[in-house]
Amino acid sequence: MKLSEIVESIRFSFESLKSNKTRSSLTSLGVVIGIGFVVLMGWSLNGLEQAWDKTISTVGADMMYVDKWDWTGGRKWNSIRSRKDITIDQVKLFAEANHGADLTIPMLRSWGKRIGYKTNSIGGIAIMGTESSYGRTSAGTIETGRFFTEFEDERTTNVIVLGYGVAKALFPTGNALGKSVKVGKYSFYVIGVLEKRGFLFMDFIDNQAFVPLKTFINNFGSSRRSFSIAVKAESVADMDRLREESRGYMRTIRGVTADKDDDFSINESKAFDDNIKDIRLYIWSIGIGLTLLSFIVGIIGIMNIMFVSVAERTKEIGIRKALGAKKSSILTQFLVEASLLCFIGAIVAFIGCSILIFFGKMVIVSFYPDLSFISGYLPPNLLIIASIVSIFVGILAGLIPAMRAAKLDPVESLRFE
Amino acid sequence: MNQPIIEIEHISKVYEMGSEEIFALRDVSLSIYPNEYVAIMGPSGSGKSTLMNMLGCLDTPSSGVYNFKGLDVNEMDDNDLATIRNKEIGFVFQTFNLLPRASSLRNVELPLIYAGESTTKRKQRAEEVLASVGLQDRMGHKPNELSGGQRQRVAIARALITNPAIILADEPTGNLDSKTGVEIMKLFHDLHSKGNTIILVTHEEDIARHAHRIVRLKDGLIESDEKNSQPTYYETI
Repeated sequence: MKLSEIVESIRFSFESLKSNKTRSSLTSLGVVIGIGFVVLMGWSLNGLEQAWDKTISTVGADMMYVDKWDWTGGRKWNSIRSRKDITIDQVKLFAEANHGADLTIPMLRSWGKRIGYKTNSIGGIAIMGTESSYGRTSAGTIETGRFFTEFEDERTTNVIVLGYGVAKALFPTGNALGKSVKVGKYSFYVIGVLEKRGFLFMDFIDNQAFVPLKTFINNFGSSRRSFSIAVKAESVADMDRLREESRGYMRTIRGVTADKDDDFSINESKAFDDNIKDIRLYIWSIGIGLTLLSFIVGIIGIMNIMFVSVAERTKEIGIRKALGAKKSSILTQFLVEASLLCFIGAIVAFIGCSILIFFGKMVIVSFYPDLSFISGYLPPNLLIIASIVSIFVGILAGLIPAMRAAKLDPVESLRFE
Repeated sequence: MNQPIIEIEHISKVYEMGSEEIFALRDVSLSIYPNEYVAIMGPSGSGKSTLMNMLGCLDTPSSGVYNFKGLDVNEMDDNDLATIRNKEIGFVFQTFNLLPRASSLRNVELPLIYAGESTTKRKQRAEEVLASVGLQDRMGHKPNELSGGQRQRVAIARALITNPAIILADEPTGNLDSKTGVEIMKLFHDLHSKGNTIILVTHEEDIARHAHRIVRLKDGLIESDEKNSQPTYYETI
């Protein structure tokens, strides 16, 4: 089998498909739909990935949180609840010991608070008490204004830095800076608004507000509250070492004996990976299911049309054999034709999806401007995948008809009218 | 005389029709030498089509020996037979058997595609043979844009393109009017005088008389095999 013969097969296939335009396009419709599903699925997974990466990067892949609570929690809930709180003394001991960390920041939180400004208010907010150094982590990146200073912390001033979601809810037109908001009976002076951090289903991350630690203790108290310790690594590469060191220190500080499990958790943004894995799997299974279904329909359609085509062109097969075509040449001819049919279907699907996604993105962004980072274009590697899949499908669909064509007896075929 | 191109000895072909065995050919022996012009004649049902398919390596005998250029055809597999058809045999059919969607040039170069020739060489050679049958200005035409005579010329050009050892023509004038038929027979005469070996299968006496040797078949047997000392010959106009 020479390359020139395949090239010629492609030329002949084009001629043959052209002469049956309606039939060819109807036949490839199944493949168009199948490839369309694959492409759209690939695009949405890609978008999910982008949203996820953006969330992770703002939460901080270089951060870990030593905490009483476990972010992945779930089944061990009861044993976690019975853990002893992390006290301020333990935090101090930990910070003194842990020289390997870039930053060690104590944090207290109060869940489910309501923040109000004039007639506006938003509930379900986590109020965080922390030190000024939190402003130096990626999670504390400011969009407008500033983070509070060490001085403001020492002086227990009532300043507050709002999470993006809180600021948006209370000040839809912007201009949060300098305003006075209320948390319960206490008033706070807004000095900064954080950058948007959570995307898609991770929005809740933005429903937080930060106040100086001492202010927090003054206003909300520290009894029956467990500290968590935000630990920032020098780099992401340093995370493994830092995790093990932190674990060791914390076990010593809390007097955990060698035969016991940790009575604290070290949480990382990685913990959310499990969530996204579920969603990814969900999209994949729907996508794969629909894709398989349309491919099966498509394959049956193409196989059927190839059988018709072989029957119609029995004479042509006879002529080709008389002129010296080997079985392999006839086989190739029909496989190329089926593949070409699918390949054209794939290209049509790709172009169709590109248009769909281009306008789809415009619509999505007009409703959710935050999602403007989502790509309005299909990644080129999807084109390669779609092409390969389509050619494979073509070969699968064309194989049996092509084998039938290759086996035809030249004398019988030539006699066919 | 030199080595024969085709040498068949005692070949038979049996078809099974239900429980009956039908002999299309019985114990036929025949040798054809280079640059012969042989007509195989016979009424329908005489076995001449079966013999032609056999000679053209489209079919294999039930029994007997067939040597093509000294090679035993019975020993060959499908691929070998395809190669022999491609390189050594040029077919000319009654119904022309051109690919309807392809231009003259594409039709003519088809055997060279299966021979694995390069594009440029194919095109050059196809133009050459089309010119040799007088169709240099019809290369881009599709069969339905050509007259019957022109179609048969395209088919002859296609048969010639691989420089085959024999040209096997099955009722080449059967679908043509008599005037065009004469032109085609003249072309065969020219090809023969240029050194080609031609086997003509026909049931028409006046077409057979163009050949230099006439083999008559009847009921699957060779009835006669004679030299034609005065072949019909048209002066070039």
